[in-house]
Amino acid sequence: MSLNPIEYRPWEGKRTDSSNRFMVIASKVFRHKLESKWVLGLLILGTFLTFGFSIIFNSINSHEGLTSESMASQMGDGLFFIIIIILVSMICSDLISEDLRSNSLVLYLSRALKPEGYLLGKALGALMVLSIFTILPPMILAIATTATQSGDDYLASISVIAQTLVASAWSTIFMVPIGLMISSLTPRKTYAAVGTFMTFFLLMLIGGILSSFDQNWSLIDPTFVLSRSYEVIFGIDMISGINGGLLALAIGMMLVPPSLFVYWRIVAKGVGK
Amino acid sequence: MTEEGSDIASPSDRTTPTIEAEGVVVRYGDIVALDNLSLKVSKGAVGLIGPNGAGKSTLIKSVLGLITPQAGTIKVCGLDSVTDRMLIRDMVGYMPEHDCLIETMTAVELVSYMGGLAGMSKDDAMPRSHEVLDFVGLGEERYRPIGTYSTGMKQRAKLAQAIVHDPAILFLDEPTNGMDPIGREEMLDLISRIASTNKSVLVSSHILQDVEKICQDVIIVNGGIAIVQGDINTLLSQAKGRYRLKARGPPDSIKAFLQQLKGQYEIITVSEDFGQVTVVLINEGGSNGIFDRASLSGVQIRSYVPDRITLEEVFITSVKEGSR
Repeated sequence: MSLNPIEYRPWEGKRTDSSNRFMVIASKVFRHKLESKWVLGLLILGTFLTFGFSIIFNSINSHEGLTSESMASQMGDGLFFIIIIILVSMICSDLISEDLRSNSLVLYLSRALKPEGYLLGKALGALMVLSIFTILPPMILAIATTATQSGDDYLASISVIAQTLVASAWSTIFMVPIGLMISSLTPRKTYAAVGTFMTFFLLMLIGGILSSFDQNWSLIDPTFVLSRSYEVIFGIDMISGINGGLLALAIGMMLVPPSLFVYWRIVAKGVGK
Repeated sequence: MTEEGSDIASPSDRTTPTIEAEGVVVRYGDIVALDNLSLKVSKGAVGLIGPNGAGKSTLIKSVLGLITPQAGTIKVCGLDSVTDRMLIRDMVGYMPEHDCLIETMTAVELVSYMGGLAGMSKDDAMPRSHEVLDFVGLGEERYRPIGTYSTGMKQRAKLAQAIVHDPAILFLDEPTNGMDPIGREEMLDLISRIASTNKSVLVSSHILQDVEKICQDVIIVNGGIAIVQGDINTLLSQAKGRYRLKARGPPDSIKAFLQQLKGQYEIITVSEDFGQVTVVLINEGGSNGIFDRASLSGVQIRSYVPDRITLEEVFITSVKEGSR
């Protein structure tokens, strides 16, 4: 290694708008995650286990049409939630923790990138990866079921496809803020991954125990909240005893405080606190 | 795609400051990091020196808009560091002191990624990354993960990511940290070559010889105040007329000789070591008077040479005076 006697040359290209630069982070996260054989393996295995059989079964068996109930039931399956939790733990674990460990946060924030742009880029990258599991398979199932239906009410089926799109997009977004929050708490990605999984697991456990006193305590459990959200999105009756206001509060608590916390962490780290 | 910063003032000569801070105050709770700091940074290489905790990093973060001062203003090429922080950051390259590289990436990946974050398109970022990596002297190593690099290679990669978007202003925090003597020389050469391309390069370093070697101007910060700032040559020429005299003789003769010197010249320091007295004095005239007085007092002058002042002495004197 020695110095090449070339001179410093200026760059005279045009810059992109600073408000769009979060996309650079998002595409980097997306490519990096898909290079991980573990993430890729889980995406394939998860898709096959949760929706693979249903796609094949629905395509070859006769059915009248696509119904909200069948999609809500399909997406409300426990295995679907567990795989989402594992994926969120794996995908989000190093998104912020690795930048904290390597101190590379300063490289991002010394460029024309606001903390919200940095977070948006990281979150969008995670959502893009997660959507391969949460959006693609349910949509394939819904479209395949509609394409092979025996009935002629395609309009009803198409409206269920739209509901499926909303429900699957919601599944993608719902758990990522908690994953990012845990990732911003530690500079070790292993701790972040285990911490994220255990957080969801403990919330499920506590929700399950407390629900024996009052059904609304189940709203501590993120998977329960997600299931009830599906019922709202698909327009089917929510299980009795659940307060709609408390459901909205639970959703807010799982999205807003984690997002604010991770934003505060990034701002604080950016100024060296 | 838009071009930003087209209306940014572009100082044409070294006398026009690129960074101007006026009465800047930054506090962390009860701790005052910058205390009514005012300074001007011109084009070329400028040394930013000061003891630990003097406020150097806070100053850099304030210019980058990472910290909002409680009082005062910072202008970068006429742009305000608070309201125009995004425009300013596009004009600035920052090489932090500590490890900050993403170790799982290769240097070429990291530099092009940072180029993308600085607003370069994919088509521009990759060829430009190779260009700057060539410039800093990272050869085939650029395809290896950064985690496997030596300290010197990491410093080069840090410099490459700072210059990939061709910033008008560069902040280099301890650029030669941990480098071997040859690597250090090469890094200083790189900095000089960058500074010669009409850029402002602010070099923060504890190695004052490095600053003395490559910088035209220097700013000494202590206690959040810029206690000294100006042209290095002017600062070092404070030694003009200063001479270091070494003499030997009987104690009474030496005493009488010193009394005579004190009456005629401005004495800076007097020290004695194993019977030899060393006097630093100011003498704007000839040396005959000194030799005549020594001869009359019975003192033997061993040496009488112009005294050279170093940046280190300027620094130590300024910091001591500043803390009084």
